[in-house]
Amino acid sequence: MDGHFVPPDVIEVEGLVKVYGRKGGTRALNGVSFSVPKGDIFGFLGPNGAGKTTTIRILSTVLAPTGGTVRIAGHDVHEDPMAVKERIGVMPDEVSFYPTLTGLAHLQYYASFHGIPRAAAKRRAIDLLGQVGIGDVARKKVKTYSHGMKKRLALAQSLLHDPELLIMDEPASGLDPQGMRYFRDLIRFLNGKGKTVFLSSHLLSEVEQLCEHVGIIDRGRIVAADSIANLSSKMSAGAPIILRVTAEGITDEAIASVTSISGVTGATRTANGLDVTVQSGTDVGPDVSKALVLAGARLKELKTSERSLEDLFFALTKGGRV
Amino acid sequence: MKAPAFLRGLVPVGWHEFYVNLRSVRMLIMIIVLALIMVGGAYGIGRGSSAGGPSIAPLVAWVHPAIGTSGEHIAVAWVSDPFGVPLPGATVSFTDLSVQPPAPLGTTSADADGFARLAVGNRSSIGITVRTGNAESGSGVFFDRPVENFTVETRQEALDTDSVPNDLGVHVLGRAGVPVAARLWLNDTYVKDVDSRGYGRLELPLGPSNVTIEVAGENQTRAVFTSKPLPSPFFTIGPDFVLLIMAAGFATFVIPIFAVVVTFDAISKERVQGTLDLLLSRPASRVGTLLGKFLGTFAAVALPVTLVNLAGIAVLTAVSGKGPTGSFALAFLGLSLLLIAFYIPLQLIFSTLAKTSGTAILFGFLVWLAFNILYPVITFVLSSVLFPNSFQAQFQFSQVVGLGNPSSIYTQLVTFAAPEAIRFSFGGGSTLSLTAVASAALVWFVGMLALAMWTFQRKAAE
Repeated sequence: MDGHFVPPDVIEVEGLVKVYGRKGGTRALNGVSFSVPKGDIFGFLGPNGAGKTTTIRILSTVLAPTGGTVRIAGHDVHEDPMAVKERIGVMPDEVSFYPTLTGLAHLQYYASFHGIPRAAAKRRAIDLLGQVGIGDVARKKVKTYSHGMKKRLALAQSLLHDPELLIMDEPASGLDPQGMRYFRDLIRFLNGKGKTVFLSSHLLSEVEQLCEHVGIIDRGRIVAADSIANLSSKMSAGAPIILRVTAEGITDEAIASVTSISGVTGATRTANGLDVTVQSGTDVGPDVSKALVLAGARLKELKTSERSLEDLFFALTKGGRV
Repeated sequence: MKAPAFLRGLVPVGWHEFYVNLRSVRMLIMIIVLALIMVGGAYGIGRGSSAGGPSIAPLVAWVHPAIGTSGEHIAVAWVSDPFGVPLPGATVSFTDLSVQPPAPLGTTSADADGFARLAVGNRSSIGITVRTGNAESGSGVFFDRPVENFTVETRQEALDTDSVPNDLGVHVLGRAGVPVAARLWLNDTYVKDVDSRGYGRLELPLGPSNVTIEVAGENQTRAVFTSKPLPSPFFTIGPDFVLLIMAAGFATFVIPIFAVVVTFDAISKERVQGTLDLLLSRPASRVGTLLGKFLGTFAAVALPVTLVNLAGIAVLTAVSGKGPTGSFALAFLGLSLLLIAFYIPLQLIFSTLAKTSGTAILFGFLVWLAFNILYPVITFVLSSVLFPNSFQAQFQFSQVVGLGNPSSIYTQLVTFAAPEAIRFSFGGGSTLSLTAVASAALVWFVGMLALAMWTFQRKAAE
């Protein structure tokens, strides 16, 4: 023991395999492994058809895995699905409800599965509908709801039984900017109250803003699972670095002078100046600024560009088929 | 109370199914269809059968010979309905029957009291035809014997609801062809006077009776006989028979349609509208969820079907004057529920397998078609090919093969429950034992429910 508190993993996935149909059917997941520590907001990324939804359906106990193990809060989804179901709140991508039931009736129906007594269930449902901002339409039929209202109802139903893990599939898809911001703030708030969040999303900026750790899945395999910072530095190792130069008065001579520096492999003009491609492991920043200043350019800023999550995503999924 | 783990979810899913289905538009439509067929059938056939037996003429010509003041012959007709209410305005035609071809003597209309009279001179055989609308009735008046001081016409019919031909209509006229005061006696007991038009009706006891008509101290006595209607050699038309037609004829077709229409998308709809994953991620077992679906839809169909069946029996009782045999009626109510319970698990299997609403509808229709049309037709064809010379063998074959068909099992059980007198009248009367048919029913129900659970467990989420 090194004295550090290591939170237990809420999700432990090991060697997960899912084959649809009989032998020789579609292999949707091919040995997926990752883990999500307690209290984390974990971003789950991947192009369409990579296996995201299949993974989420297995985590939600809807689909049985073909091989491998999945444990949630220490309970195997296959061996002890009931214990898992009690601990998870699922917000599916498709926000689909019974069109002729009211929002309140939905929550009361779902609460009855969790053994919440009727009166308490009604109180809790009304509270939750108010909290997610659709208290005023609680007694209206769901078929009259807008997409945003349905998303909010989907969130409310996932919180009914106060689960420790929230599994959210594209929670912000189809929402307007205010709605997206609302969801982002709410996820942070819930995480602040100790809930672990498993967040699958197409919106990379969303994930970047919310998540510390991400898993990237492609063609049924996890191609990366780590913190965004670690992934970024790992990806950068050995790869060329871009120096982003902001300057005025860059002449062709200045560019020629820069490209002649040892370690520089190329330079292209940008709107504000110049992007200089540099071999990894070389520190040519001072040489570049010196060359530019000597060639008469008025240098304003020079910085090493960081790779965004989007860059990582595209690099890892070979162009990403989002 | 907490449900055992393997049944978790049964109660919430069951209530939900029951509630959602009972409020659906299709439920309303099916209740109307079922009510039209079952209650309408009970009314129509019940009424038809209770009016059975000897038919009653819509109008009656009571004809009498009479003598005019100067000794001429007068042919008299009094026109009434079968119950003695006069029909004024009826067309009355007189014909001389003593010549060939018969010669028309004249046509007149019945007066306000229903009478028509024609002086016919010394002719002795007069034909009289009366008409109102499309109805026509004819009779003859004969002067071959001296006309007595009063003349009497009688008709014995079954006029009331007891179906026994014990209602004797009596019409009395004086020698002059006009009504006279007359007293009616039955077996030496005074009963009543005839009315102002000479009509009176007596209810006769079974067996022989003497009816005496007394006019001004002079009597005429007629011997009459009342028998029970002969029982039909094959079956008795009555409420039991109508119920048998309702159960084995109508319910066999319409109750499965009801069950199919309500259940065909019980699972596929959740998949198509996207609520299935949310349901399956709840703390509910697959077995509990499927059983909840079964019990919820079963109750949602069973409740209106039972109410409509009860209404059908009530209407049948009202129009027939008496209800069907209690045990048969109870068996009908119970077997209707069994028929529902046969079809729902079958639909749940196909609803689990159907990936789209279209497939689900197609499966639902095919299931109904298969067991209500194709299976019986194929069985019939096979039986006549295999046993061309023996009706008995064909019958036995189709009953044995029918054990694979829920609708046929139901029909066989209905004939077991029917009173013995009518059991064989509807192609029923199983050659198999009740134990065999009941066992087939049990195997069908339990087998289909188990298969539905297995399919749901394996295929619900795939």
